[in-house]
Amino acid sequence: MWNAFIHEIRRIFTDSGVTVIFIVATLAYPLIYKAIYWNEQITDVPVAVVDLSNSPQSRSFLHQWSASPDVRLTHTCCSMAEAEQLLRDQKVHGIIYFPRDFAQQMADPLGQAHISLYCDMSSFLYMKAIYLSCNQVMLESMRNIQIDRYQNMGVGKEMAWALVQDAPYREVALFTPTGGYGSFLIPAVLMLILHQTLFFGICMLSGTAREENMDQYSFRSLVGRAAAYFVIYCGLASVLLGFLPRLFDIPHIGSIGDILLLIVPYLLAVIFFSMCVSVFIRNRESGLVLLVSSSLIFLFLAGISWPKEMIPEAWRYVSYIIPYTWGAHAFIHINSMGASLALVGKEYIALWILTGVYFVLACGLFYIRKRSKEVQEVRSEGVEELRSEGV
Amino acid sequence: MLRELHMMFARPLYLFASVGVMLLSTFFFLTLMKGGTAEKMPVAVVDLDQTSVSRRLIHEMQATPSVDIQLVTNSYPEARKAMQQGKIYGIFVIPEAFYSDLVAFKRPQLEFYVTNAYTVGGNTAYKQMLTMVNLTSGAFQREVLRKKGLPDDVIMHRIQPLSIEGHMVANPWGNYSVYLVSTILPGILGLICIMLTIFAIGFELKMRTSHAWLRAAGGNYTVAMIGKLIPYTLIYLVLGVGCHLILYRYAGFPVYGSHVRLMFGLLLFIFAMEALGITLIGLLPTLRDALSIGTFYAMLGFSLSGFTYPNMSMLAPVKALSYIEPLRHYYLIYVNEALMAAPIENSLPSMLALTAFMVASLCVAPRLHRALVYQNYPLK
Repeated sequence: MWNAFIHEIRRIFTDSGVTVIFIVATLAYPLIYKAIYWNEQITDVPVAVVDLSNSPQSRSFLHQWSASPDVRLTHTCCSMAEAEQLLRDQKVHGIIYFPRDFAQQMADPLGQAHISLYCDMSSFLYMKAIYLSCNQVMLESMRNIQIDRYQNMGVGKEMAWALVQDAPYREVALFTPTGGYGSFLIPAVLMLILHQTLFFGICMLSGTAREENMDQYSFRSLVGRAAAYFVIYCGLASVLLGFLPRLFDIPHIGSIGDILLLIVPYLLAVIFFSMCVSVFIRNRESGLVLLVSSSLIFLFLAGISWPKEMIPEAWRYVSYIIPYTWGAHAFIHINSMGASLALVGKEYIALWILTGVYFVLACGLFYIRKRSKEVQEVRSEGVEELRSEGV
Repeated sequence: MLRELHMMFARPLYLFASVGVMLLSTFFFLTLMKGGTAEKMPVAVVDLDQTSVSRRLIHEMQATPSVDIQLVTNSYPEARKAMQQGKIYGIFVIPEAFYSDLVAFKRPQLEFYVTNAYTVGGNTAYKQMLTMVNLTSGAFQREVLRKKGLPDDVIMHRIQPLSIEGHMVANPWGNYSVYLVSTILPGILGLICIMLTIFAIGFELKMRTSHAWLRAAGGNYTVAMIGKLIPYTLIYLVLGVGCHLILYRYAGFPVYGSHVRLMFGLLLFIFAMEALGITLIGLLPTLRDALSIGTFYAMLGFSLSGFTYPNMSMLAPVKALSYIEPLRHYYLIYVNEALMAAPIENSLPSMLALTAFMVASLCVAPRLHRALVYQNYPLK
């Protein structure tokens, strides 16, 4: 077992391809993703203004809106056609339109004024930035109009406020106050990087061994190899999950101890899961096809970008057999939402169950491979013997 | 070419794997987001008031179709724990003495908490919370005005004297699936193109069979290349056209502009990815290295293309990098053609950029030719 462990460690570091995957890719990918999502928020989304009412009311609305960091009112157009042209050319990603009767409706004590807002849907983040910031301004000016109207009717200011907003509200974004895109995605990506580099590296090592006919399927080799991956990845995972969120200044309110405790079943589950798959890998490069096809699917299947509540039941059951699903949620809850290990008990136990299941399965598959390989060898020896006797 | 067909079917794994990957991905992404809009998310209500009024209010919220209350409790820590367990995405707090403050015109403050650890879930919960606040906040005013005997539409104008009509251009349903799958699926197809192309050429180099290959083409590099790539290109094109038809005919994703130009963009993208594959194996004539780099390159395309996190907010060097990603250019063509119905001039720069990838692949021809002839590269 010790020999198998040492042997595997040596193979990992003598095979440049595997070293690159295990060490370089694992450490470089997070940096690249951090660089891509560096700014976290999208700000200053360009918006065109079509103001047919051309009134103090509409100008005051625009003035307030332009104070928002989310948007920048870059163009003032005379007509919708002109604004649409700008949107088509992607010079702006939104249009705000005030109809001619905007000011009249505002002034009319019984009137309702309308604003039209057009959002470019080529990225959902444009819509979020434009719509939410405009909505804030709208609510505020709406309340002011109401107060004015009640006061004109002779209602006292206090009372008017009580009528207009009998219960004001305060909104709090918990855990990740900036709500940045990187803060949300990077923790999930870190877990995926660990999962996929480990998965690919193991498949690559198995494929190479098989090409060179050096593959071994003893129980000792199974445990020894797994131990080798585990030792290397314990270090890498501690850096990725424990240190990088601090370095990157993305949310990291979880306890390091809990994260380290989470790493153990996560790595074991991924290792045995990958070893099960690797039994079917014949070539060094085959794992790549699996890697490519599975990365995006695992990410979406886990219910990170698309909420798990909105995933069809059948797919949700499929997601349960992937270690990433449990690991990613557990890590996000601990790291980004400050949950204790007890609160992610469900995910934690699921990872241990997966570890057990995949370990037993790997033993079984290794045993079957061992037998079929022996049969093959006996057969080819037999053929050799027959040949030599025949000649 | 015949030799290649023979080789292709002698090692069908890659071929089937690639076609299989494409089919599986298409099936996966089209079924994953059935409906495509996240309408409501589970949230919790913390009722610190515990009066008949607060309970009635909660009942009213529960009866609202766009609200999904999973947990009603009188303890904030309990709700917070539920959020940390991933059971809910928002917490709505009705404060102590809510009712008595309300009738005394003391304007009790409601609070709501949403999590941003999940973007789509958190956003949806946020919108839902606003609905809940408005239900609460408007209720009182509505009652007072109704008692005065005002008709409902006048009350509506009174309560909401200003409204925003939101228009989601080209995706009026706010369908997440339309937005996401339209770029992801071509991206996966591009990955397959680059990988299979690198593999087809790299495998000859790895097995040292490039001499036999050149011989079959009469020693002519161009003929050898074309012969080898025709069968693969046909497969890519079938997959590309299939992908287009499935997305825009079968799944009914909108195309406001020209189908023809959008499909042409996809074909250009496929060729560009194929050409990129040739360039990479030409520069790095070791199968494994070229494959790893190619995959890495193409995978980054998903983030760099800017369809999730917009390009305009990226750092300048990252933005510059995105121009060498064919997927970025395809995405721009897609936005122009499918969403904006823009004139062809808008798509031309992207189309030219995709063509540039093809031209670039010609530049490595001499180097690749030498590699095929002299086999002067490390094997492992």
